[in-house]
Amino acid sequence: MNLARAPRLDTLERWMQAVVMHPQGAMPGVRSAPARRLLPQAAVDLDSVVLPSKALSAVERLDIYAHMYYARLLEILVEEYPTTRQILGAEAFERACRRFLARHPSRHRILNRLSERFPAFLARHLPRGPRSGLAVDVARIERAMEEVFDAPRAEPLTAAQFGAIGADAWQRVRLAVIPGLRLLKLRYPANDHMNAVRGKGQPRIPRPRASFAIVYRRGYQVFRRDQEPVQFRLLAALASGATLAAAVRGSVGGRRGNADELAARLGAWFREWAAAGLFSGIERQATGRRRR
Amino acid sequence: MTGASLPNRWKLPDLGLGVGLRTQHFRHITEHWPAMDWFEILSENFIDTEGRPLHFLDQIAEHYPIVMHGVCLSVGSTDPVDFGFLDKLAALARRVKAVWLGDHICWTGVAGLNGHDLYPVPYTEEGLRHMISRVRIIQDYLERPLVLENPSTYLTFASSSMPEEEFIARLAVEADCALLLDVNNVYVTCRNHDLDPLAYLDAIPYEHVVQVHLAGHTDNGTHCIDTHDGRVIDEVWQLYGRVHRKTGGRATLLEWDANVPKFPVLQQEVGKAARFRNGTKIVTSAAA
Repeated sequence: MNLARAPRLDTLERWMQAVVMHPQGAMPGVRSAPARRLLPQAAVDLDSVVLPSKALSAVERLDIYAHMYYARLLEILVEEYPTTRQILGAEAFERACRRFLARHPSRHRILNRLSERFPAFLARHLPRGPRSGLAVDVARIERAMEEVFDAPRAEPLTAAQFGAIGADAWQRVRLAVIPGLRLLKLRYPANDHMNAVRGKGQPRIPRPRASFAIVYRRGYQVFRRDQEPVQFRLLAALASGATLAAAVRGSVGGRRGNADELAARLGAWFREWAAAGLFSGIERQATGRRRR
Repeated sequence: MTGASLPNRWKLPDLGLGVGLRTQHFRHITEHWPAMDWFEILSENFIDTEGRPLHFLDQIAEHYPIVMHGVCLSVGSTDPVDFGFLDKLAALARRVKAVWLGDHICWTGVAGLNGHDLYPVPYTEEGLRHMISRVRIIQDYLERPLVLENPSTYLTFASSSMPEEEFIARLAVEADCALLLDVNNVYVTCRNHDLDPLAYLDAIPYEHVVQVHLAGHTDNGTHCIDTHDGRVIDEVWQLYGRVHRKTGGRATLLEWDANVPKFPVLQQEVGKAARFRNGTKIVTSAAA
């Protein structure tokens, strides 16, 4: 070969990457504008850059890598979004994945971040309608499940630690939530739908109805469940750093009703959250009095 | 069939026979503690996570020697070295008391992207100088030898000016790094490039080889793909025997990543290496 015309290493790597990551395969990749800007001679004479073997042409050899790029990443998305795929259908899901990967190629060494923008991408690019709306909400839950699977470990508060918070301390106490908790306000009953898919296989697409889901990890198992709207608002307020008193006031304060009934509901919610291990710390604020 | 003993230049131990640690076997291993000399982990599966895999790895690392093998170090990339990633590798190595750690002679991405594949470098003087410089930087930072594997390759750059085995041999000697010789990759690469695997093996500087990989592959007729989805074929066993005669024994690992069978099948398959390794430990299917 003519060494004077050998491409520089960085040019060759950028060129090969542009070719094998092209969503239509290696030959469209070789002919693409980014690849032609890097190595124009390859579009005219590919063999001057990649040698054929006895059995395969240069483009067939590049296509091995091009195929593997999409096959490997699609396999991961299929594994991470089984119910989203079931809702959209395998073909529509794969089309959406290919468009996503072309728009958002992986920028991370660790694959668990590959799809962090996938639910938002689906929300922007799927055609409007109940099926798409449900798919987006389910994708948000499935993404949250991936995130909490990998979340940092945290020791949850015990019932005794909860019990030690006296009512008089509510003005000053903040609860820290575990890192493996996600709160999702949804437009569809997505969690119910996922349960139905698990149970029966092919449930009908539901009508839009706001739902409030939490996804969390207890030990090394990932769970998801729905919350009542007020319960969700209260948990969201606590997760955002409000004191117990402020969180309760902000979420249930304006509601009319029996004080005993409210206390009972609050008690039930806190018991549910404590059993789920959603809180990992108690922060007591200073009283705020200044010494003279 | 045991050959003369040729120690590696770091005197890293021959760990015996091991298999790649896969999630499907976590529970079996931690319930039965089966006979296995050591495990190799895919480093990236245990970085940026504090979930279930790390929980099992912590237990397994208490019972077996662990070697770290990565796929994303991208030693051949022209992007800057990612020292943050090296810190994560070093932290994991400390956590599991890794006997050694390594990756591949390849690049996985450039311009900030990652293809999550082992892309071949052009076997040129420029490519070699670049790899040597990067390996030295990484080894200096990690303060340990990097164990680099020959990948399966599916294309040849027209600009390459030396055969792959010469590139690898010069890299090992000039960068003073260790080698993981994957004999299945040697077979696959030689099939794909019409090369002689025996000549390939004869060019390897064995004092730099600290580990050997075995695996199955898919033969498509026109080319082979390194799929790690089945048993090791006879031709690859013959290459393994040749390596063993040259070294006298190196830590040997079976990779099986797709259509993963039950653990005893892995024990049985890697145990076949024992017939080349007289006097070394033989893995059995019995629980430890």
